[in-house]
Amino acid sequence: MRAERRGDAVAYQRLLKEIAEMLRRLVRYRLAQLGLNAHETEDVVQEVLIGLHTKRHTWDEARPFLPWLHAITHYKLIDAVRQMKRETRHRIDLTFDEFAEMFEAPAEDLDRATLDVDRHLAGLPEGQQVVVRALAVEGASVKATADKLKTSEGAIRVTFHRALQRLMALAEPGGPKSGKGRE
Amino acid sequence: MMPSIETDSLIQNLSREAGPRRGLGGIRFGRLFAVTVALSLAAAFGMILFWIGVRPHLGQLVLETPFLFKIACTLSLAAAGIVLVHRAAVPGGIPPTLLALVPSGLLLVIGGLTDTSGLSIMGRNSGVSAPYCIGAILLASMPALVLVLGVLRTAAPTRPGLAGAITGLLAGALGATAYTIACVNDGRMFVAIWYPVAILIVACAGAAIGKRVLAW
Repeated sequence: MRAERRGDAVAYQRLLKEIAEMLRRLVRYRLAQLGLNAHETEDVVQEVLIGLHTKRHTWDEARPFLPWLHAITHYKLIDAVRQMKRETRHRIDLTFDEFAEMFEAPAEDLDRATLDVDRHLAGLPEGQQVVVRALAVEGASVKATADKLKTSEGAIRVTFHRALQRLMALAEPGGPKSGKGRE
Repeated sequence: MMPSIETDSLIQNLSREAGPRRGLGGIRFGRLFAVTVALSLAAAFGMILFWIGVRPHLGQLVLETPFLFKIACTLSLAAAGIVLVHRAAVPGGIPPTLLALVPSGLLLVIGGLTDTSGLSIMGRNSGVSAPYCIGAILLASMPALVLVLGVLRTAAPTRPGLAGAITGLLAGALGATAYTIACVNDGRMFVAIWYPVAILIVACAGAAIGKRVLAW
């Protein structure tokens, strides 16, 4: 980092590479811990690198480098996680619509649709199956479902979102039980 | 995981920019911050002088308890604000702590509770009411709020909301410091209640603004 101040691009590049290597491990571990998609790791690593680069003048040569680096990494990581969570929520909202379409459209082809649904739902744990069936297949309201299952509306929503997330994961190419079926 | 080609080329691009920074980022934060605080205080005094003017007989009152109490409270709050802003600006340093506010807090509480002046808490019988006092402090702290937030953007606050709140605290304290020369209310209880309220309002505004403008 001192070399960077003198304009030594080679040393700076070496430092950034080492940091990137370390970040990659750290970020992947953290994302997995939080149940987020580890595919985003590289994006987050790049975010941190850019952040540290644009703020590199705030490191004081008289102070240790690692705490500074850690603070910046931490900040950028939290930022990225927050954003990813927001996007995930957004994505799930979209799938809700897709789900509705999916179940409404093939009215004349009911058998096949039901079959499809059953096949997809089979990948879910029992509790989630019940909720998805009630909400998305039977079209019951959240409140009615909550009353029926004797639990809170919040719990139903959470279960439903988890179920959707799981369904998406299952439907992703390369995921377990994936077929050529629609996503 | 394999190092990605994209990241490698990013690193290459970034490393090409190695070398000292030009512009505001190249100046050490401490120096920039000191100049900003001085400018903010001057601006606050300027605004108070322009809109309200010095209170009558300030020269004789400067060494009397009520004025000394006010200026001690506001200056100790400003000092705490300066320390805290500096801490909030530097990543990986000592984190800001509420302890910095203990001296001024004690001063305010003790001063307020030992108030025997009998002046109204709302300030009705002393010519100036509480809303007026708050309004004046708010106005006088605006230059400081804007300037210090501006300098903080060149630093790297890792908690933007908190850094903004602390900036508001400092700005409010600076505004209140300037207002002491105009404030005609000598009740310590009045000061101990309404000065902090005004400063707190600026701190809340600072937190809300900081959350947006200090994120990077």
